[in-house]
Amino acid sequence: MIAKCLRDWRRTLIWWTIGIGAFMALYLGTYQSIKQAPEIYGPAGLAKFPGALRDLMGGLEDFTSGTGYLQSVVYQLFVPFLFIVCAMVLAGRALAGPEEAGTLELIVTLPVDRRRLVLERFASIALGLLAVAAVTLLVTWAMAEAVGMGVGFDRILAAHLGVYLLALLFGTVTLAVGAATGRKAAASAVMGVWAVLGYMVVTIGRNVEAIAWLKWVSPFHYYAEGRPLYEGLPAGDYLVLAAATAVLALTAVLAFDRRDVGV
Amino acid sequence: MTAVVRAEGLTKYYGRRRGLEDLTLDIRPGEIFGYLGPNGAGKTTTIRLLLDVIRPTRGHVRVLGADSREAAVRRRIGYLPGDLALEEREPGRAYLQFLGKVRGGVPAARIDALAERLDADLSVPMRKLSKGNRQKIGLIQAFMHEPEFLILDEPTGGLDPLVQQEFLAMVREVRTSGRTVLMSSHVLAEVEHVSDRVGIVRAGRLVAVENVAALREKAVRRVEFHFDAPVPREAFEHLPGVRDLRVAGASVRCTIDGRPDPLIKAAARFTVVHMVSAEPDLEEIFLTYYSGEDHDHDRQVSA
Ligand SMILES: Nc1ncnc2c1ncn2[C@@H]1O[C@H](COP(=O)(O)OP(=O)(O)OP(=O)(O)O)[C@@H](O)[C@H]1O
Ligand SMILES: [Mg+2]
Repeated sequence: MIAKCLRDWRRTLIWWTIGIGAFMALYLGTYQSIKQAPEIYGPAGLAKFPGALRDLMGGLEDFTSGTGYLQSVVYQLFVPFLFIVCAMVLAGRALAGPEEAGTLELIVTLPVDRRRLVLERFASIALGLLAVAAVTLLVTWAMAEAVGMGVGFDRILAAHLGVYLLALLFGTVTLAVGAATGRKAAASAVMGVWAVLGYMVVTIGRNVEAIAWLKWVSPFHYYAEGRPLYEGLPAGDYLVLAAATAVLALTAVLAFDRRDVGV
Repeated sequence: MTAVVRAEGLTKYYGRRRGLEDLTLDIRPGEIFGYLGPNGAGKTTTIRLLLDVIRPTRGHVRVLGADSREAAVRRRIGYLPGDLALEEREPGRAYLQFLGKVRGGVPAARIDALAERLDADLSVPMRKLSKGNRQKIGLIQAFMHEPEFLILDEPTGGLDPLVQQEFLAMVREVRTSGRTVLMSSHVLAEVEHVSDRVGIVRAGRLVAVENVAALREKAVRRVEFHFDAPVPREAFEHLPGVRDLRVAGASVRCTIDGRPDPLIKAAARFTVVHMVSAEPDLEEIFLTYYSGEDHDHDRQVSA
């Protein structure tokens, strides 16, 4: 079952890997020129950007150091969101998509327990994302070495692991909503709203007293707070992400097990 | 032997819409059960309940002696969905191999043999197939693991007459090997020649279960005799089962209920030159059930 899923998603996985890899290569490739223009991209230059934009981009403190650039350009916004969308696409194809297309009817009449079916779909998402993450990790590391960013492999690995866990969490949100409702659009919508609001809360919203507490339910808090590029693996935060994923996967299993399929 | 299907008070509501109401039915091992009803009667609902695709609102059902929730029992079932949806990009062969593997392995030779019988194309992505050719793939996957119990929801949809004949032959082979079939249809003619019993659902309720052979015996039959000389009307009057008698010179027309024996014996006293006996018109009986005009027919023969 898992092998079949991954085979069906092969094309998607390859394209996302190429896409994210190309994004990395492109942006990290321009680091050289940015390093040579500290008057624009150094702390003083960046201070000219509007405050809200700076908040949205996670502060934009520093572009000229390798770590700062990698953080701001790669791990702050673009790459996590690319991964999250990729996870959403895979998760949509895992249950809700086939259910809407009608192909799930034959699958649930196979001699496979429904709970096992959901777990296998979850495992497929996890493995598919892992493949994309592993290849793009290597691309990032190779590019960082090539342009002389001076960021250690362990730090990049720590940050990349965060991206993986974050994307898997949001993918599991999509899977769970899809398993409970059978609607792909609903699943993507719930995930999208949570992701966008969650991101806003920990960036623009972090200085707004009234909503600051919301950061506890934003996965981005656990993703970014530990500053893995600067301080290494934030084990506690990542465990929270992994635990939330496990709880959501369990929810998906239980929700799907008690439902009518295809109605 | 335990029943292949034992449904008791099986009821399904989709929200407030009725799908199936209080179905009590036994399907016996080795029989072919035709499941008939007009659109929206509840055939697909019943079948999905048997396969645990949907869950009953009330009542329960056992299939092959096990709870329908037990996944393992589905290895022994072959299912053709009424609204068959196949994976678009995959070629038939890869898809069938996948389904076979999950069901515990199906020899490739058997898949090929079935494909050859039905003249199915397994090499192109399934989205490129016509409706009937997709249906063939649906049939192959239902038959290929030689299940003890076949559940076929409108199996002949989209099939041309030749393939329909081949399909009916396959169903007969299943019966010969002692396995059981439940097949749904809109018209009796489709299942009449292979079914042992038929059940009729209308508006969510099972309104009748009939033995096809008994039904045929009971059905009204139109008969015509032509003799070499005019015959007296009295010779045919008051025969049991004979109605609508019309005697005109050397010909006799009537309809009979049940066995034709007394009529044949009466006719044998004269010289018969020609005889016409129409097939019993079972369809007429079923149309009465369908439209619900005749509530006296609401009986359930269950033994
Ligand atoms: N998903 C659903 N949501 C709401 N109502 C449904 C659903 N599926 C079926 N129904 C209702 O349940 C009733 C029985 O439907 P079912 O599909 O079992 O009929 P059927 O006998 O298979 O008809 P057909 O011959 O057209 O296939 C119908 O009135 C239908 O409107
Ligand atoms: Mg139907």
